Amino acid sequence: MSEAKTNETVHLTIDGREVDAPKGAMILDVARGMGIDVPSLCAHPGLEPFGACRLCVVEIQKPGWDDWYKQLVTSCLYPVEEGLKVWTDSDEVRQNRSVVLDLQMARVPESDYIRELGRQYGVEKTSYAERDTKDTCIMCTICVRACEAIGRSAIATLSRGPDKYVDVPNKDACIGCLVCASLCPTDAIPFTANDNGKRRIWDKEFDLVTDERTGEVLGTPEYLAHVQKRAEGNGLVWPETLKQESAKVKRYEYARKLSRVADVEDRLADEAK
Amino acid sequence: MISGNGKPFGSPQALLERAEAIRTERKAIKQEIRVCAGPGCIARGAKDIHKQFQSEIKSHAKELKAAGLELDATLSEKCTGCHGMCEAGPVVTLEPEGTFYTGVKPRDAKKIVEKTLLHDQLVDPLLYELGHQRGGGKAERYTDIPFYSLQVRVALRNVGVVDPTNFDDFLAEGGFKAFAKAVSEMTPEAVIDQVEESGLRGRGGAGFSTGRKWRGALRVKKDRVWLICNGDEGDPGAFMDRAIMEGDPYSVLEGMMIAAYALGATDAYIYVRHEYPLAVEHLQLAIDKLHTAGLLGDNILGTGMTLNIRISRGGGAFVCGESSALMRSLEGKVGEPRAKYVRSVEKGLHDEPTVLNNVETFTCVPAIIDKGAGWFASMGRDKSKGTKAFSLVGKVKHTGLIEVPMGRTLREIIYDIGGGIIDDRPFKAVQTGGPSGGCLPADKLDLPVDFDTLSRAGAMMGSGGMIVMDDHTCMVDVAKYFINFLIGESCGKCVPCREGLRQVYDLLDKITKGEGEDGDIEKIEKLCHTMEVASLCALGKSAPYPVTSTLKYFRDEYEEHIQNKVCRAGVCPSLIMYEINEDCTGCDICARHCPTEAITGIKKKMYTIDPEKCISCGICKSVCKFDAVDIKSGDKIVSRDAVA
Amino acid sequence: MSKRLYVTPYRCIDCKVCEQACSLANTPVPGVPARPRVQSFKVDDQNNFVLLCLQCDEPSCQAVCPVGALERNPETGAIEVNDKCIGCGFCVRACPFGCMDYDDTHNEYIKCDVCKGDPACAKYCPTGALVWSDKPWTDQEAEEYAKKKSSDPFTIALEMTKK
Ligand SMILES: Cc1cc2nc3c(=O)[nH]c(=O)nc-3n(C[C@H](O)[C@H](O)[C@H](O)COP(=O)(O)O)c2cc1C
Ligand code: SF4
Ligand code: SF4
Ligand code: SF4
Ligand code: SF4
Ligand code: FES
Ligand code: FES
Repeated sequence: MSEAKTNETVHLTIDGREVDAPKGAMILDVARGMGIDVPSLCAHPGLEPFGACRLCVVEIQKPGWDDWYKQLVTSCLYPVEEGLKVWTDSDEVRQNRSVVLDLQMARVPESDYIRELGRQYGVEKTSYAERDTKDTCIMCTICVRACEAIGRSAIATLSRGPDKYVDVPNKDACIGCLVCASLCPTDAIPFTANDNGKRRIWDKEFDLVTDERTGEVLGTPEYLAHVQKRAEGNGLVWPETLKQESAKVKRYEYARKLSRVADVEDRLADEAK
Repeated sequence: MISGNGKPFGSPQALLERAEAIRTERKAIKQEIRVCAGPGCIARGAKDIHKQFQSEIKSHAKELKAAGLELDATLSEKCTGCHGMCEAGPVVTLEPEGTFYTGVKPRDAKKIVEKTLLHDQLVDPLLYELGHQRGGGKAERYTDIPFYSLQVRVALRNVGVVDPTNFDDFLAEGGFKAFAKAVSEMTPEAVIDQVEESGLRGRGGAGFSTGRKWRGALRVKKDRVWLICNGDEGDPGAFMDRAIMEGDPYSVLEGMMIAAYALGATDAYIYVRHEYPLAVEHLQLAIDKLHTAGLLGDNILGTGMTLNIRISRGGGAFVCGESSALMRSLEGKVGEPRAKYVRSVEKGLHDEPTVLNNVETFTCVPAIIDKGAGWFASMGRDKSKGTKAFSLVGKVKHTGLIEVPMGRTLREIIYDIGGGIIDDRPFKAVQTGGPSGGCLPADKLDLPVDFDTLSRAGAMMGSGGMIVMDDHTCMVDVAKYFINFLIGESCGKCVPCREGLRQVYDLLDKITKGEGEDGDIEKIEKLCHTMEVASLCALGKSAPYPVTSTLKYFRDEYEEHIQNKVCRAGVCPSLIMYEINEDCTGCDICARHCPTEAITGIKKKMYTIDPEKCISCGICKSVCKFDAVDIKSGDKIVSRDAVA
Repeated sequence: MSKRLYVTPYRCIDCKVCEQACSLANTPVPGVPARPRVQSFKVDDQNNFVLLCLQCDEPSCQAVCPVGALERNPETGAIEVNDKCIGCGFCVRACPFGCMDYDDTHNEYIKCDVCKGDPACAKYCPTGALVWSDKPWTDQEAEEYAKKKSSDPFTIALEMTKK
């Protein structure tokens, strides 16, 4: 999430194209807004920028710098500046992206997603020692940040350095929403969404609540309770009937209520004629 | 006794008067015994020595009185912080003579009281052996020892001098004079001017101008400025900050108080490394004292200034010493660094303006305010002013904690102060700047030690670690050692550091095992480049230095490992062979120690080692009394004399 | 006064043209229809109904969204799902009218955004049950309009793919 937007803008050049961007916006977002493809693995527009994957690196030059001097910066974390020049696809950028992807390929040899991305940067096969593992987590921590964003913080990164991994130190807090697993770019989080009315993720088993009339799965009881609590905390009323209705049923119920009202209005309108 | 009458000091003047009164009172002290109670000496029994002195003084009270020495009146006995020569500890010094006793045992207390105190005689066996320095012989006082006489102590000025738990001691040494001067005579602006003019640069690593940092924070108009003292000191082997926090906590606090005055900060933290409980204890004691003395809290010295300083204990990881990680950790989050495109003087702790400085940096501040920016700037060279504390370790004769003006050469530090290399072996390299610093070879020995010269040479000042290596050191192995350390310390957040370190280690390991291939060096170089430019924080960015600097100065050694499968230092087990030479007397001792029964022979005749069975453990070499076991790598004998 | 989507349920003949138009207009993958953001249906023997997001003044969906993915477009007045969405589905639970939904074909959380100011449903509604206008239509206006309008879904689909 970028900083509070002001109306102020700054003028900069990205890949030779001039652009006005709101002050405080990050280079990555501005470049993407211009239709420039900057790769990333750890950025998600809804989550705090993190700067871990280093794939979004770009070269910059500030006004006043010597002509030959450029610096490599992380575009997802670097706010635009007046007069900045940015190169998103220079040789230096591509070389470092390829090393970073080469390293990732050695980390997660089983990930098709990373292999495909590596190919785009000319890495067919990693030049480093592959880890002997089926794990495909690339430590982007999108899952961790998402779980924090929804107000649970069930999962976290543990340990540090090359041994760092994602786990569920706060198992009780997990509500089985599957947000973490569905956001994971490399499908590294195993889960079963619905196995005979049971859901499994993070070594935890959940019941599932379904809409009585449509049989649609609404989520785990823990999930429904969490949303309700959150909604009530934000001052929303939460009628009992809404609790276990799918969107579709909610629509029908509402229509039934409303069409009667429309009827009444109709007749009043007729009388008035 | 706090302010003489137990009440807080109401004004700077009252404080200064009290300090003067203590000094007058203390003029009567004829003899002072300072027992080093630094970490090294405590480990070797300093507390017992202190107790023993107390009881000896009691039991000799009558005779001492006759000699005009009365405990706490004319005779003082106290524990101080580290004297810096820990390897010779426990250390006891006697003032005013400056007598320097080393290797003191509790039972020596009796001798010192009876001989030195009562009869003015030195206890000869406890005197420091000068060795080959200054024509040899024994040093009667520490000023005779080059280790001390060549030092200039600014940050360490009170360490080893004052009793760190005694506020009066600190006042007597001129403590809080600078703070009193700042609040009563100087505007905040003038304080910053002085600090900037002094040329003081951060002692914690990056060497950023302290004055400029402070001014930067002042420019950001915000209600609150946080002040943080970085006492995390994660470099293995470094203990400058520890020595200061344990041995002179009041000076650190005074430096912070002056900074707080200059910046208008009301809340400050000291982030102390987890492993330093004594530092926490002494700092907390000092903070409590300062509260009762009216020097912390509200309306400090009647000036209306408010400041609270809290101690926070570090998480234990090296990377937590990095400023943005430290701030995250203070916020109660995972101690991971953040990118620094927005400076922390603008958005630091809790996204509010924050000034963070190192312990040694803060400790220099009172001296600058007291003696003036010009005095500080007159020491040092070029853009590195003042003095710098170093921890000198490794294969140097006198290891320990030292402080010298910036610009002294590596040679002066290693040979004159450090006394040269152990066993007078050839010097091979010195590693400066902590684990992610660089290694400099012999032809760089005459480089002046300052921020910019070191970084130009591919090393860095860092926080002041200095590791000396002799010719028995394999530079590939050294690089591997530091990379291994950094693997354990990387926070693991970003890819180049987390994955890059792992792969660099793998490649180095391969090379030291004799499995290196053509192209490995280039692969390492490419990887190091990406780590340097694309890592998130300074740990990752500087992590390749041990590799890049050894590649720069010792590339031939890497190549030898790869091409010839030779380790010229005789270190890498897979590349060396043990062989018995003609000096063998056939004593059989090696054969008896060999764990794999690789050594055979007929008694009193020359023995031989079966290379198939030998696992290069080196036990034979260490037990042989006749230097008859050689280490060979390739076809060359790389080491003939015993490995230390 | 800016335009709004006016809904007159009693004009709805449940022809599902709006749904069709919405599906085709809003799919991220051309040719693979999306789940419609609008729905028409029979309520009982007498009544049909067409329902789409009410663009509430104080939207419940927005109130529960943890990442600020639901924002009002000042130009259309509609609440839109932006790229911040992390797919938690809280909004679906919170909307009392069932107007926040999940499209499992395209794996997207969806709602009516009045097609950013050019609503397909209204464009193709044959009866004037859905109109994009600055005021509601009278029955007369609606009737005149209906006479000119084709309700053949195939014609509509063809028209839309040409666009
Ligand atoms: C990995 C890493 C570890 C660090 N550890 C320390 C430390 O232990 N103590 C310290 O004062 N500075 C440390 N620093 C430097 C700090 O980030 C920061 O620059 C310094 O504390 C600022 O204070 P100064 O300007 O007074 O030097 C470290 C930096 C890095 C990158
Ligand atoms: S599990 Fe997936 S989302 Fe989570 S850190 Fe790993 S790669 Fe990222
Ligand atoms: S499934 Fe559990 S761990 Fe994953 S985001 Fe939801 S609450 Fe967090
Ligand atoms: S460079 Fe290393 S220590 Fe720094 S953020 Fe990246 S992984 Fe963490
Ligand atoms: S599903 Fe998307 S839009 Fe809905 S509440 Fe979650 S993040 Fe917000
Ligand atoms: S997207 Fe910028 S570092 Fe991952
Ligand atoms: S601890 Fe005593 S000299 Fe260092």
